[in-house]
Parts: sequence; structure tokens; C-alpha cells
Amino acid sequence: MLSRVADAVFWMARYMERTDNILRALRTNYIASQDEIQNFDWQLWIDGLGATAQKTDVKLAYREALHHLLLNKENDTSVITNIVRARENARSVQDYVTKEVWQSMNDYYHLIRDKHTEYLLLHGDPVTAFDNLLRESTLFYGTVDITMNRGEGYTFLNIGKYIERLLRSLDILELKLKELETNDNEMVQWKYLLYSLSGYEFHTKFYRNTLTTESVLHQVISNVQFPHSVFYCLLRVERYFKNLDTISLPEHYKELEFLLGRALSNLRYGMPARPTVEGIKPLIESTRIEIKSLGQKLAGFYFGYS
Amino acid sequence: MSFASLLAEYTTRPNIWDEMCVQDEIRNHYQVFFDSLSQVSPAELSRKDELAKKLFMSQGVTFTVYNDGEGIEKIFPFDIIPRIITATEWQHIEAGIKQRIKALNIFLKDIYHDQFIIKDGVIPPSLVHSCPNFLREMVNVDVPFNIYTHISGIDLIRDSDGSFYVLEDNLRTPSGVSYMLENRNMTYRVFPGLVPRNNVRSVKDYPDLLLKNLLAISNRQKSQPTVVLLTPGIYNSAYFEHTTLARLMGIELVEGRDLVVDNAKVYMKTTAGLKQVDVIYRRVDDDFIDPLVFNPGSILGVSGLYYAYRKGNVAIVNAPGNGVADDKAVYPFVPDMIKYYLNEEPILKTVPTYAMENPDHFKHVFGNIAKMVIKKTNESGGYGMLMGSAATEQQVGDYKKEVEKNPRQFIAQPIISLSSVPCFINNKIQPRHVDLRPFALYGPQGIEIVPGGLTRVALREGSLVVNSSQGGGSKDTWILS
Repeated sequence: MLSRVADAVFWMARYMERTDNILRALRTNYIASQDEIQNFDWQLWIDGLGATAQKTDVKLAYREALHHLLLNKENDTSVITNIVRARENARSVQDYVTKEVWQSMNDYYHLIRDKHTEYLLLHGDPVTAFDNLLRESTLFYGTVDITMNRGEGYTFLNIGKYIERLLRSLDILELKLKELETNDNEMVQWKYLLYSLSGYEFHTKFYRNTLTTESVLHQVISNVQFPHSVFYCLLRVERYFKNLDTISLPEHYKELEFLLGRALSNLRYGMPARPTVEGIKPLIESTRIEIKSLGQKLAGFYFGYS
Repeated sequence: MSFASLLAEYTTRPNIWDEMCVQDEIRNHYQVFFDSLSQVSPAELSRKDELAKKLFMSQGVTFTVYNDGEGIEKIFPFDIIPRIITATEWQHIEAGIKQRIKALNIFLKDIYHDQFIIKDGVIPPSLVHSCPNFLREMVNVDVPFNIYTHISGIDLIRDSDGSFYVLEDNLRTPSGVSYMLENRNMTYRVFPGLVPRNNVRSVKDYPDLLLKNLLAISNRQKSQPTVVLLTPGIYNSAYFEHTTLARLMGIELVEGRDLVVDNAKVYMKTTAGLKQVDVIYRRVDDDFIDPLVFNPGSILGVSGLYYAYRKGNVAIVNAPGNGVADDKAVYPFVPDMIKYYLNEEPILKTVPTYAMENPDHFKHVFGNIAKMVIKKTNESGGYGMLMGSAATEQQVGDYKKEVEKNPRQFIAQPIISLSSVPCFINNKIQPRHVDLRPFALYGPQGIEIVPGGLTRVALREGSLVVNSSQGGGSKDTWILS
């Protein structure tokens, strides 16, 4: 396939995954801010998700914060910006993604621009707005799964999706670690971390205990059954990457294979036996560096960046 | 209120051919359609109208107007009531267009080679050589199968007596065919069951026929030639059409930056390295396809593409240089071409055209300006046009000065009152003026025309300008079998 098309499909998937992850995290935290967590610090999230250049000192009340995080077109990392970018990428490869995928993306776009969505966030029940948006997101994943052929495009789409999910899991984990610095109720914070990653129910079943730092960190970083764990995502990247074997130049493939193997080993053997809040930070950092070099090589070898 | 009473309010204007009514009687070919609608209320029709708008929006059948970075989605206005054409009328149109395309194609071959038509005195040499779209770069270039006009869109109108006239030949990169396809898809959503009941001929073959022709003109001895569609990119107003056609034909949609020329061969950049391209269906204008030969500032084209084309290593569709044949000043000579090359009488009529270079014509036109329309020879989209009937004295005066500066660039024609068809506007059935653009495909096996076309509607009451850039819309076009 065309390098430009591969690039656009990759980024479409990244923006869509980013949108989904951010929406789930914000939904959970909005609910937390209404109930269990007093004085929820929205600024932390705005700064945590936002670009450094766009930081402001203004403290936003929760509805304004939601508006800023979801609907502000000026905000480079808002949900609407992500959707617009995903759609622009899809538009430039409209003939490549299926008509169904394009339509589902388009419906999503029209929903977030809908006045009713804005009304729900500013004056109505924001959870309904989150649920409506997340339904579109889920429809998008289903449509991709049902209609896209399993060729190269699907491979790049999935590589993009899992790289993005991995990075989002790291982001959300780091945000929680930051929140823990000012908030001593560790249990509640861990609970909402797992809710953000759709992993709380799984935790109770898998670890059969109350939440501990150790078990939560294990789940988020290493658990191969948890679809938002860093290790699981990287295994998926590896699995889809193997599809590229036949179409790649051998030296390109080998180099990426090496980088992927190194990143996987780093996670597999770099995880402390009894992880702590402080002890996990070097691993997060080194994983980010591995992923960054992986992404750069991918862009250079397959997407025609030089 | 029922549909029948809506219809009773439908009043046609005098001296205009109405496609549905003749003296308050409904013409036969509209009967079946209207019988099926007789029980439908205006409210229901307006729901259907809403449905169509919603479907166009959610399917992204839109063009984007960019002015704040993100762009505004607009849908090309669609009128839900189809325009119906009988089998006999279509036979006439089809034969006429085939004849015309054949002659124009021979003209292009001739004008870029031996120029017999000039030597025999049928066309003045100055006319051709003063045409800005005559490409000297194309002289003595042999094109595959001698086909220049692979895809053409011929604009037809109907005069008050119902006869078809050719208004324009679009032989460069005619657009609108995706709307022909999408409008049909819309009709069976809006009026379930009506398409089969009326025995409407299908337009679905278009992409297959086009692909067949594109594959056939590849020069490489290969079972699977690589065909691509070259688009200017997502900011082009016809981008939706480019993606639709690429998807329906299953070919790559490429931008100039995806292609590279090496050793007079064209390649596209893929994830697996470079892959040779055999046929380019380009939707980029002549001037922009190769910065080394044409407009040096173009970033939409590919450097070296033209050289590869002359070498015969890649086919370009439509051929460059076709602008000399659809120039509006060349248009009045098409009947002569048909007689000269084919020894046949023209089947379709041509609108009388006055060359503003000719002082007698100039005087005549400005003496009867209220009945005239003046057009620029190389503009399309309804730009740079003066409708004498609607212009003020000031406007006519200003325009006259423009014409005097460069009379070769202008022609004038008597205003022809386009035929009218019923449209559903503001909850009423009202007559509006239309034209018709069928699309002809010319391949090594001959000329084929898909039974259908784009009917463009002037949505403003009384307006005769159907261009989408000037407040025009479109309708589904039914050719009955």
C-alpha cells in the first residue's frame, strides 16, 4: 500500500484510540468527582492531558473543565480535536478504509459537534454525553472489525491502536501517581485508576484481594490478560508487526524486530518483583523511550518519513 | 392536503418546455411515478427531503468549504423528485453524443498531428493557435489507441420545442459522475420500490466500464497493470468524487507526492518500496501535472511525468491538451467537424454562437444584449458570464470594455430558456430549470454511455444558471427502458 495511506491509517487509529481512552478516563473521574473524591483537581487533568504550551493558571470549575477537555477546539488535545484529526486522516484515505468505517467516523464527528452534546456537558447530565460518545467509539471498533480486510492497512491500524493504548495507560497511571502525592487515600485512587482503564471488575476476579499497590501496578503494567496493560499492548504490536514480514525489506524488518524484542524484554525483566509507587517510575520512563524509537523507525521505514 | 392538490398548483411558464406537463396534462412517462405518489402528503414529502439531507451528511457526500482550518461541510443540494427521460429521447441523445465524441476525438488527433482540417480550410488556423489550451507540447505525440477523450461530460439543454442542444463539451476533467451514482442510491432510500416499478435503467456499471478502459490502455505486457487516480488532495471540492471512484474501481487514490519518476518510468511510494504505475486517471488540470513542463509552481503534479508519458511508459487519462477541443470559440465549428471527418449530419443541435472577434457579430450581440449571454471561452462553472437579460446598463458597459480588450476570449449566444422540471421546494411542487450531463466513456472497444447523467437544477426561481458554484443543485436522472 501507499506509504502516505499507511501513515494516515496508523494515525487515524491512534487518534481514535486516544479519544476512547481519554473519554473513559474522564467519565470515570467525573463520576468520582461527584461522589467519592472531594475537591477533585480538574487542573491536574487539564495539565496532564494538555500540551505544555497551552497551560493556563485559571482554575476551571468542573463543567468548564469538561467543556475544555472535550469540546474546546482551541485545545490541542481535546476530544473534538482528536476526532477532527482522526477524520481528516480518514478522509485522506477515504477510498482505502471501508465506506462503513468512514460513515461511522463521520457520525462520531457529527455527534460531538451536535448542540445537544454541548448542552448535556454544560447544563445536563454529562454522563449521558460520555455514554453517547463512547457508544460511537465502540461502533467504530466494531465496524473496523467487521468490515476491514485483514491486509496491510489493518495491520498498521492495529499497530497504531495498541501503541496508542499503551501510551495512554502509561499517561493515566502517571496522572494517578501524581494525584497520590497530594491525596493519601490510596485505595480510592487505585480504584478509579482501574475504573478508568475498564479493569476494576477484572481485578477483583483475578487478584481476589483488596486493592494493593503491588497488584494494581502488576495489572496495569504486566498482566497479559488485561487488554489495557502495557505488556499486553506491546505483545499485540508484536503480533501485528509479524504480518509485515513478507512485504518489508529484510533489513528494515530485522531492525524493528530487534527494537520490539528489546522493549518486550525491558518490560518482562525490568518489572520489580514487589513494585512500589517510586519503584515503578524508572520502568515507565524506559518504556516510553523504547516506544519512541520504535515509532520513529516505523515512520522512517514504512511511512516514507526520512 | 394530498399530492394531487399539490400538483394542481404546479404552473408551467409559457414558451418553456416542461418535462412533466404539457398544457396541464401530465406526460405519459411521468404518469407511473406520480400515480405512486398520489397518496403521499406534503408532510411526508418533506420528511423524505429531510431524510435525503441526513443521509448525504452522514455518508459524507459533501464538499468542504475551508475558511477556519476545520472547514464547513456542505451538501450539494439534492431535489428528491427524479427527472425522467424516455427511451426514445435517450436513443437520440446517445447517438448524438457518440457521433460528437468521435468527431472531437479525430479533431484532437488531427490538430496535434497533420492538421488536415486547417489545411482544407474548414477551421481558421488563428482560432486554434490563439487558444491558450492548445498545447504545443502535445504536437506529434502519439497517444495509446489514438484516444484523447476517455471521459467526457456533454452538457445538454432543451429549448422551448423540446429539442436537445449541446451547450458545452467537457473533455478535460469533467466531474459530477459520483453524484449520478449517489443520487440513485438516495432515490431508492427516499422512494422505496419506485425505481423498479418505473423500469429505470441502472447506472451502476459506470465504474466497471471505466476500469475496463483504463486497464486496456496500459502499455506494459502485464496481466495486472497498475492504475491509479491522481487527485489534487482533500482540499479539492471534488475530492469526494475522487475517493468514490477510486473505491468503486478498487484502484489507489494517489496525490502528486506519492508518485516519483525515475528513468522515464512512474512509480508510487509504497510500504514495500517503489511500484511502477501504468495508467494515471488524473483529476489534476493540464497546467499542474508536471512542474518541469507546465506551471513550475505546481506541487500537485509529478516532475518528469510528461516525459514518461511521451516515452509511452505511462498513459494519462484524459490526454493533455484536450482544452483546444472544448474551447467555447471552437464549439461552433463542431458541426463542421462532424461533416468533415465523418461525412454525417450532426444529430444534436448546436446553439448559434457569435465570435466576439468578428466586428459584425460584436455589433449584433451588443445591439440585442437583452437576448444574449456572453461567456469567456475558457471559463467554466458559470464564472465570468454575463446574462444580458438580467444585467444592468452599467454591468453591460463594464463587460463590453472587458470584451474589447481581448475579444478572442469571449463568445456570445442567444439565451436559451432551459426546460423545466418539477422540484419539491418549500413544501410545494415548483418548476425549475435544468440541464443534463451524460458521461461518455471512450475505450479501445468504442464509446459507451451509461444510461443516466447528472441533472443540474437552477434552484432559484426563474434562474437559468445551474452551476453548483452559483446556487445549483442536482436530481436523480431516470432513463426508462
